[in-house]
Amino acid sequence: MTTARLFVRLKLSLIRGGLRGDAGRQAGFVISLVAAFLAAVAGFALLSLARLAPSGIALDLVSVAFAVFAAGWVVVPLMAFGLDETLDPARLALFPLTTRQLATGMFAASAAGPWPLASLAALCGGVVALAHGPGGVLIGVPAVLLLFAFCLTASRLVTTALSGVLRTRRGRDLLAVVAILGLLLVQVPNLLLNRGLSGDPVRVLASAGDFLRWTPPGMAAHAIADGGFAGLAELVVVAASVVVLARLWIAALRYALVRPDSSTGGGGSVRRSKTSRFLPGGMLGAVVAKELKYARREPRARVNWLSAVFVSAVFMFSLRGPGGGNGSWAAIGPACLAAVVMGLQAANLFGIDGRSLWMNVVAVATPRGLRTDLAGRHLAMAVVAVPLLALASVAAALVAGNAAWAPAAALTAWGVLGVAMGVGSITSVLVPYTYPERMNAFSGAAPGQGGQAFASSTATMLVTGVLALPIALPVMLGFTWWAVLAVPYGAVAAWAGRRLAAGIGFARLPELLTAVSRPT
Amino acid sequence: MADAVRTQGLYKRFGQQVAVGGVDLVVPRGSFAGLVGPNGAGKTTTLSMITGLLRPDGGRIEIDGHDVWADPISVKAHIGVLPEGLRLFERLSGRELLTYGGQLRGIPLDEVGRRADELLKVMDLAEAQDKLVVDYSTGMRKKIGLAAALLHNPRVLFLDEPFEGVDPVSANTLVEVLRRFTASGSTVVFSSHVMDLVERLCDWVSVMNRGLVVAQGPLDDVRRGRTLNEAFLDLVGVRGNGEEGLSWLGSGSTP
Repeated sequence: MTTARLFVRLKLSLIRGGLRGDAGRQAGFVISLVAAFLAAVAGFALLSLARLAPSGIALDLVSVAFAVFAAGWVVVPLMAFGLDETLDPARLALFPLTTRQLATGMFAASAAGPWPLASLAALCGGVVALAHGPGGVLIGVPAVLLLFAFCLTASRLVTTALSGVLRTRRGRDLLAVVAILGLLLVQVPNLLLNRGLSGDPVRVLASAGDFLRWTPPGMAAHAIADGGFAGLAELVVVAASVVVLARLWIAALRYALVRPDSSTGGGGSVRRSKTSRFLPGGMLGAVVAKELKYARREPRARVNWLSAVFVSAVFMFSLRGPGGGNGSWAAIGPACLAAVVMGLQAANLFGIDGRSLWMNVVAVATPRGLRTDLAGRHLAMAVVAVPLLALASVAAALVAGNAAWAPAAALTAWGVLGVAMGVGSITSVLVPYTYPERMNAFSGAAPGQGGQAFASSTATMLVTGVLALPIALPVMLGFTWWAVLAVPYGAVAAWAGRRLAAGIGFARLPELLTAVSRPT
Repeated sequence: MADAVRTQGLYKRFGQQVAVGGVDLVVPRGSFAGLVGPNGAGKTTTLSMITGLLRPDGGRIEIDGHDVWADPISVKAHIGVLPEGLRLFERLSGRELLTYGGQLRGIPLDEVGRRADELLKVMDLAEAQDKLVVDYSTGMRKKIGLAAALLHNPRVLFLDEPFEGVDPVSANTLVEVLRRFTASGSTVVFSSHVMDLVERLCDWVSVMNRGLVVAQGPLDDVRRGRTLNEAFLDLVGVRGNGEEGLSWLGSGSTP
């Protein structure tokens, strides 16, 4: 018990320490407290409302909700891993604690905090929704507590089992991409629902309920509904599953504590690139080669490209009106939007380099040098984006119903990309910001630089939109031959942007370096 | 002949905190110079400003007689830098990092390849040359950073804490390379707080404390018959001798 109290206090002082002297974080913490409270109330109320539904549907609803809670408990701490020091067993390896004490302590520590308490409160809504009479309540309260324990142990088991992997570089790289992809995939059912592809919601719910019937969350829900001896038996099964998970967790913990730390050393070799012989020599080629390697190897760059492609695809399908394609704009619009979305990455060209940008800063001695640097970045981006936009144009033309629109769409999109790159190179030197070291779904900039990130992408989008009108508008209105002018127009825009940006950027190279190397 | 490095009244502050308060640093050409000082003395800030990575709030900096901020073309091609904190392009392999740095400076690709081969061999990184820098150990990172700083054969080399966290074997390699480099008439300026090392390597020492240079000159003039460590502690003022308090520490007391 003392260990549990100690760990809870450790966690609380870690939270306090993290907030000290930083108004932004304090505000963030207060907001998160309020949000947790609101979520607790809303979750409780929503779950309780299931009581109004017919009892079968209510049961299925609560089962699904319980399962979603359990899944959330497993996934969310994984994405936030490293933010909470009480969760990493390796940090506690040197303290004279038995594994059992450690397990109790970490269990208590993970139960403390606004969000765990909020989810416990929300889970209690299940009792209100399902309990019949005092017997149901008597079973319901332990059922909710057991389910809470189940969530905690499952989450601890997964983080502990993966903590070795998460401490290696490759593991973290992989997780960063998987987490963002997972987040994007969550949108897919949403889209499908919007397009009216799903069947009868009640039937979907019923089959989900059947599927979850014999899982611990489902059993907990049924225990509350059944009450009596049947409920009691189900509770015993849930409790047994908690015990099994806890045993597994203790075993994983024991193993994690004695396993050598694999975070250093290892890591495979990369193949020497053969493409460099096709690249121009000197600074231009160096920058292009580096940028292309980063697009492949740096998880943040990969995530940026993946989400740009994903967002473009979403546009393509959601822009198609119910009446089907009506005119060439149905093909050209999505292609141009894809160009803008991909071009947005050019709005903070130096962000991915971050703290290593000093290498360029000490080498660049003239505005011309910076122009070459920018040109290299644009060229590398074009190497990736031009084929992607061609693909997007073909796809958009096919979706819109006329493949002949593809060439005009591709030409226009390439032109828009050029405009976006030109505008982006200016925002890159005017409002540069640091990409956080650890990619997360909620912030694209280092603490305190959210404003810059927002300003930079909004400005790029708006200015690109305005500057692209002379080429995009006539094409969309049906003058498709106008598209031949798009690529030269885009190239000139990119060139002018680079020229302007090099002059501004060279004068403030040290400030640029500071802005992209903020601690995250 | 101009000094390799000369600053006058170099000044920088961050908010209320004056990090560097009027530094007059001098390093004669061809010297192996040590910049020593306690943590927070302003060594890193000074080196960042001299190498053009941080804009000073006031003062002048000349390298080989050229003003760093007014005439970057004459300066940047001739200096090599290893900044603090091992900030390197993590997702390039060691070899790619050298190639990138060399090409940035306009050296032809085959010449870059030849120099990279030799540097990797001397630094004992030939086996790890195709691994990503993110997977390198601290010693390997310092060595690849030094190799990248040397690749364009600079006249003045600035190293911020090059020996911190480096194992003795790697440190020895670094020292050998730097010795050869200064023997040819080039200049090395490095910051450190390992006095023994500075004493062993340097012929010129600048001591910084609280944002100012408090002593500088040839090694023997600065230490004046004492060890450099004693001279240093005298110059920066000893802060507490560690005897008050801590009565419970040591065997014989309760744990």
